[in-house]
Amino acid sequence: MLIPTPMFGVALATLVSATSAPLGDVESLSHARLSEALAAVASEHPDVASLHRVGVSREGRAIEALRLTGTEDPSNHPALLLVANLEGPRVFESGVVLDHARRLANAYESDESVRALLDTTVVWFVPRANPDAAEGRFASPSIERWASSIDVDNDRDGRRGEDGPADVNGDGVVTTMRVLDPEGEWMEDPTDARVLIQADRVKGERGKWRLYPESRDLDGDETFGEDAPRDAQVDRNFASGWEEHVARAGTFPTDEPEARALCEFVMAQKNLALVVVYDGHDNLVEKPKSVADDAAPVKRVPPYGVLESDAELLEEIGREYREQTKNEAKGDGEDAGTFARWCYDHRGLVTLSAVLWNLPDEAPAADEDADAAEGDDGAVTEEAAADEAAPAEEEDDEVSESDAKPSDDAKHLLWIDGAGESWRFVDWTPFDHPELGSVEIGGFAPFARSEPPQDAWTKIADAHFDWFQGLGELLPRIELVECEREKLGTGVWKVTATLTNDAYLPLLSRSMQRTRTTRPAKVSLVLPDGATLLSGNTQELVRDLAGSGGRAEFEWLVHGPDGMELGVSVDSDHAGRAFRKAEVSQ
Amino acid sequence: MKLAMKTMLALVLAASVPVAQDAEAGFPGLGAARNPRVEIAWNRLYDFEDIYAHLDRLVAEWPDLLSMQVIGHSVENREMRVYTLNNGATGADTEKPAFWLDGNVHGNEVQGGEGVVYCAWYLLENYGTNERVTELVDRSAFYLLPMQNPDGRSNWFKHAHNAHSSRSGVMPLDRDLDGLADEDGPDDLDGDGSIVQMRKYVPGTGTHRLNRDDPRIMERVPTNERGIRGDWILLGSEGIDNDGDGRINEDSLGGYDMNRAWPSLWFPDHVQFGAGPYPLYWPEARCIARFILDHPNIAGVQSYHNSGGMILRGPGAEVFGPYPRADVSVYDAIGQDGEKMLPFYRYMIIWKDLYSVFGGFVNWTYEGLGIFSFTNEMWASNRNSPDDRVEGGSEGRQWFDDHLLMGAGFVDWHEYDHPLYGKIEIGGFKKDVGRVPPSFLIEEMLHRNAMFVIRHAETMPSVSIAEPVVAELGDGVRTIDVIVSNEKLMPTRSSLAVRDELGAPDLITIEGDGIEVLAGGFRTDRFRPERIDLQDHDPARLIRDEGVGSLEEVRVRWIVRGGGSVTIRVTSEKAQDASRSFEF
Repeated sequence: MLIPTPMFGVALATLVSATSAPLGDVESLSHARLSEALAAVASEHPDVASLHRVGVSREGRAIEALRLTGTEDPSNHPALLLVANLEGPRVFESGVVLDHARRLANAYESDESVRALLDTTVVWFVPRANPDAAEGRFASPSIERWASSIDVDNDRDGRRGEDGPADVNGDGVVTTMRVLDPEGEWMEDPTDARVLIQADRVKGERGKWRLYPESRDLDGDETFGEDAPRDAQVDRNFASGWEEHVARAGTFPTDEPEARALCEFVMAQKNLALVVVYDGHDNLVEKPKSVADDAAPVKRVPPYGVLESDAELLEEIGREYREQTKNEAKGDGEDAGTFARWCYDHRGLVTLSAVLWNLPDEAPAADEDADAAEGDDGAVTEEAAADEAAPAEEEDDEVSESDAKPSDDAKHLLWIDGAGESWRFVDWTPFDHPELGSVEIGGFAPFARSEPPQDAWTKIADAHFDWFQGLGELLPRIELVECEREKLGTGVWKVTATLTNDAYLPLLSRSMQRTRTTRPAKVSLVLPDGATLLSGNTQELVRDLAGSGGRAEFEWLVHGPDGMELGVSVDSDHAGRAFRKAEVSQ
Repeated sequence: MKLAMKTMLALVLAASVPVAQDAEAGFPGLGAARNPRVEIAWNRLYDFEDIYAHLDRLVAEWPDLLSMQVIGHSVENREMRVYTLNNGATGADTEKPAFWLDGNVHGNEVQGGEGVVYCAWYLLENYGTNERVTELVDRSAFYLLPMQNPDGRSNWFKHAHNAHSSRSGVMPLDRDLDGLADEDGPDDLDGDGSIVQMRKYVPGTGTHRLNRDDPRIMERVPTNERGIRGDWILLGSEGIDNDGDGRINEDSLGGYDMNRAWPSLWFPDHVQFGAGPYPLYWPEARCIARFILDHPNIAGVQSYHNSGGMILRGPGAEVFGPYPRADVSVYDAIGQDGEKMLPFYRYMIIWKDLYSVFGGFVNWTYEGLGIFSFTNEMWASNRNSPDDRVEGGSEGRQWFDDHLLMGAGFVDWHEYDHPLYGKIEIGGFKKDVGRVPPSFLIEEMLHRNAMFVIRHAETMPSVSIAEPVVAELGDGVRTIDVIVSNEKLMPTRSSLAVRDELGAPDLITIEGDGIEVLAGGFRTDRFRPERIDLQDHDPARLIRDEGVGSLEEVRVRWIVRGGGSVTIRVTSEKAQDASRSFEF
């Protein structure tokens, strides 16, 4: 698809080699420092960059948006929005977004392709959509926070959020506790005793351990960490597929101030034509579930999925994405209540979701640590999926240790050990627990599964930057061509005009034709005084205009004097505007 | 303090308030106040300002029972007011089961506003003299919001409309997607203050003919093969093509539906017309939702709408599935009483008997929050005349207008020169015909609906603790048996709330410095005390997630060591807490 136009070719040639500014360390991504960095981009590049406020989080942190554009009238050009870090632990993605923005701003003066992009496009960056949850990364003890607010009475004891995980042994991280217990459901993975797997009685396996989140029993009910404070997750709090009465989904869609602010922000950008999300969901590597464009509603509810016509485009964009970034990291496949799903399903916006990195599940190649660290885990994951689907092994009743296949977590440890990333797994350490007595505390560390190793950051950011800056060519852009008038007889004129869209995406996605949330292009015949319309409508709304050279033709009959000025105008909110005088055809 | 004590105190307080004139004058059998302290004419409809003014008069007259708070503002910055009816002498409103009553979410469905005012007025006027009103007011609270959509109401009163227009709020919306919002609604072409219909005489080429007996009435000419055509066409509501796009009246004021804005089974506009971009998008709905969420003591909801003679309950959509059986029993008991109290009303399930509604208000309050909720469609046009000979439809309405309104509800067809259609005729029923009662039937509608609200509110749960029975096991160990009962139809927790884990569980606790609670739980067999669901942890604080059911008795047993002064307490979100202290 993305026909390598000169603009795109130049981008690749110049940017990959020249402009990488190294990403900082994790500490540089705290809310305060990220805000400073965004402000610095805005102040250093006042010609293209400006800082805006999307909203304020529940705990009072600003959610910021950096806008880059060289256009004189931004509302006259399509906009592209990049959002990251809706899920608390994925702070690294914020850094990548900041890096994208900084590189584009830096290159605006010197790089022709970047200038071409920003002079025709508005690019919005929201690097940290959920600042409260992200702060868990910088807190002490370190804890993965997904939720940002409201306490639900998870254990139905009439108290809310009274017994959550905590750093019980004071080692600075909140992990897992295991207790020897004949009723326990967990046993050691035969290939790696550090890993616990669920015992399967059907296979004659016996559990040995009980697992708990690292916690005390603060409410004295002999369960541990069962009622954590803060249940609502911002990225489950959007209206499409919202899970009512599920704690993580929140009290009602958009009750979380971050979610509502993002909705309002998206709705306010009437020229928005494409959304990109770097977070825990993906529709570029794994093909999303799709449904027929005209799938019949079930009990009046339309079946959910990407509409077929849009899915075809998405698949092609995904193919290009994988080719350029070499990324194979998949999401969890669950998009109920997410921002990305709302953008597509309720706003009709083509929305691209990428997971930048997942914890690999094979040992890194001995000589190429950096490559392995990139997280090329696609093949192995498929294998794991095939394992799950396969019936239990029948040939051996007793699976000897040497035959046993490592569990997913054991595979992760192969990589962790091989890459020397020992911080990612805390070895089981005995601890005398005030309520449980003798326990062991350890397991995967917070952020072990979502944060790439420092030496892979630049490479991931580079690959995604190159892909991202090519996205300007996807955005629909309308043009009036072949605007002519032909004299049919004295005073009678035939006016014709053709509307085209040379970009990849159609003027309106199939979903947007359904949601009616962005208005179609309006084609108007501009008649002078003294002229009368003999045939046609003075206004035509154009909904269906394909990309890649899609055309729509219009025709009017007008009665008026020879010398009159006739013209055709077209305007839209998100694909540009144009006026063209109807020239006398030869 | 025990409930009974509080009620007595309240009666004493109420009796000491000087009563204007003679409350006993008139005929004691009448339901409404005999000699009202606040006179309000109940045979007319009131604009936005007057609705609040009436309620403010009630606040001034009964400052100890009625108070006002502003919970937000509408799109046009009108105050969203909740009036709280509560007797502070019997406890804070938040400690009692509360009833939420509102009206007029659709701007044109105005009489819900009067319905709310009437209910407040009736309860206040009869408090202290009518035993049941006094008991109800003392044990519960009412949150009264007369207008969910004050902008729509105000617009309907102040501008030219018909019975169906101004349903929406007034936030501009580009319904026809031409880049302009609300630019082409109906127009009062002849400036007479009404939006009525347009018709044009097209001899031999039309779709309609005039009724032979009454030429004001248009009849569709049936399709036939003999070539019979009508002489008239209907051209819709009064209007012109304001924006020159070739269409008429395609983008009117607002164009959304605030009764599709609520979070339960909400779907966007392309599935559910009028739903908006996300749930609770409009400020009116948002502030109401916040208030209701902040008041988990709300146990009953009524949201007045205006037309059809219906007592509606959810589900709003088939896809929800049926409501839990025990809750349906409660709904049915109240709804069936309502059918008897409200002539020509039918008790109906929204999706099955009316149409599918996604994101409706009473769907959210029950399906989202577990509150027993109804919507009454207040006006039943059969009330015009119960006589079968005055049929429904155009003839009946025209007959009623001629004979009981002296023709005042109808704009006679008259000529108009339309910029596009040329010579046409304009005429039809005015906005106050069809969905609101004529003046002489308003009071009856308000009263019967208020009585239905009161019937609904009287079922709100009331929990009490019977005299405990203490038995010695020896060595200072004793059993304490207690019966906690709910004398009302409505359970402290609806089955749906239990199923979906909504709200807080009820708690039944025992406290006493001289006792150690060894065990405790709920007895499952009234004759076999050993059959008991013991609570493993903290048996002095028993968690009762299933609440105390409709007319249910819950048997609790504790085994304790020691004695002395002991207090048993029942805590429930939707019932006033009950406690009982005793010594042994």
